[in-house]
Amino acid sequence: MPKTETYTLSMGPQHPSTHGVLQVRLDLDGENILKATPYMGYLHRGIEKLLESRTYIQGVPYTDRLDYVSSMNNNLGYCRAVEELAQIEVPERAEYIRVIVAELNRIASHLVFIGSLANDLGAVTGMIYAFRDREKILDLFDLVCGARMTFHYIRVGGVSADLPPEFAAKCDEFLKIVPEFMQEYEDILTGNEILQHRLHGTSPMTKEQALSHNMTGPNIRAVGIPFDIRKVDGYGLYPKFEFDVPVGENGDNWDRYRVRYQEIYESAKIIRQALDGLPEGDIMAKFPKVLRPPKGEVFSRTEGTRGELGFYIVSDGSTKPYRVHIRRPSFINLQGLDDMCRGMLIGDSVAAFSAIDPLMGEVDC
Amino acid sequence: MFGEGLLTGMGVTWKHFWGKKETFCYPEEKLPMTERFRGGHLVLDHKKCIACSLCSLACPNQAIKLKIVPDAKKKRHMQSYVHLVGRCLYCNLCVEACNMHALSWDKNYAISSWHKEEMEDELVTAEGLAYFHEVMEKAKAEAEAEAKVAAEKAEAEKTGGDA
Ligand code: SF4
Ligand code: SF4
Repeated sequence: MPKTETYTLSMGPQHPSTHGVLQVRLDLDGENILKATPYMGYLHRGIEKLLESRTYIQGVPYTDRLDYVSSMNNNLGYCRAVEELAQIEVPERAEYIRVIVAELNRIASHLVFIGSLANDLGAVTGMIYAFRDREKILDLFDLVCGARMTFHYIRVGGVSADLPPEFAAKCDEFLKIVPEFMQEYEDILTGNEILQHRLHGTSPMTKEQALSHNMTGPNIRAVGIPFDIRKVDGYGLYPKFEFDVPVGENGDNWDRYRVRYQEIYESAKIIRQALDGLPEGDIMAKFPKVLRPPKGEVFSRTEGTRGELGFYIVSDGSTKPYRVHIRRPSFINLQGLDDMCRGMLIGDSVAAFSAIDPLMGEVDC
Repeated sequence: MFGEGLLTGMGVTWKHFWGKKETFCYPEEKLPMTERFRGGHLVLDHKKCIACSLCSLACPNQAIKLKIVPDAKKKRHMQSYVHLVGRCLYCNLCVEACNMHALSWDKNYAISSWHKEEMEDELVTAEGLAYFHEVMEKAKAEAEAEAKVAAEKAEAEKTGGDA
């Protein structure tokens, strides 16, 4: 009688498909995964603590470095929390600009998702296409705030500068080519038999499982729960805009891909409406330069690109926050990895990481 | 048909192969930086700077080390302005904090260096330093002249009082 035993395989932290520095311990029975345990913390910089030793306004550039692929959304989350704490009213034009840049950033982030998913599954060409189009959004951001990453554009009370005069035309140009490049992805990726084979039916999750891990963002919508904080809370100007919340059916990797793919269209719709309705006016609220929010605490959540991004801030009435805690969607979504990998093959674990779309800057914070 | 999707995908590649080029040869060709681009080295306009140190106070990461000296007339001047490039977040808060618009970015993004010692950037140029010494000397001379006038006046008053 031959003796069989399970063995463990350490994937990462330098594995090319772990999107940064994540180590996953796979317990294997042959090729089948019995258990996947993520080990995190390689990229820990103590951002929460850093925020506590900076003033409220100085803290904004650090939030850029959480989920560095969608910095605008992080800036927005933090600034909204501080504004709620200090009761600052943001001018309408600033709110519109915020929506435009946040949604552009959502598209950019989803393009990175599509590109890296393709790359992880071996389709390097697919990645290049997605990154080509993301580049156009980065060009727009460069025009607006002078940076291609770590934007630090959305500030407490508004935005740092008005949109440059050529922005509207360039953004319009970009929105026009969205259907074009999306069709290209359909041709090059969605229709590709290998990609379909790798994504259909792999790492399925039930609604209960996804809820029990408290997953949010495209990951929960993929299992068929239309939970989108832009709709649920209706914060900012979002109730004004018409858009749908795409959901999946089976909760497998394919649905995770399709949900994000559809969301690009929805974001483009929002940007179009916001561009058309952009009012004139101020871009910065008036408040004292040295910001001292009253004593109290606030938890403010927004729909980040990867799910519910929450900032919990306690103020002791001084210029610096007493305590900051960040609810990072990537970190919490990653807890579903084990459920997604069990019973799958080693190769599918790569697809599972990619489909969760965790960003290690945000996971480790 | 199995393989149809693959062929369609290859069709896209084929089309782009003959289409417009999306890339350019980086070191030979360079993209111009946008007007708002923040990056490269900080540049200090020494003549505008009033040594108020607001920029250094605005910096979230203490990346700006200043040496400010008062002249003979108690006015403050910038003798040395060190930008610690390695600590910089490129957040632009320093540039925005300066009411005199004395700070700007030089937009030269190729700032990588071999040694960490090179990551300290002195913004006060030789010209700036010459200007600094010039104003210091001038203030000294003025202060001396004023003191002399005051002394003469006091002397005159004294002798006037005696008579
Ligand atoms: S850009 Fe930001 S981090 Fe860098 S020196 Fe200026 S204030 Fe400091
Ligand atoms: S804020 Fe401007 S004027 Fe004041 S010390 Fe800095 S560079 Fe000089």
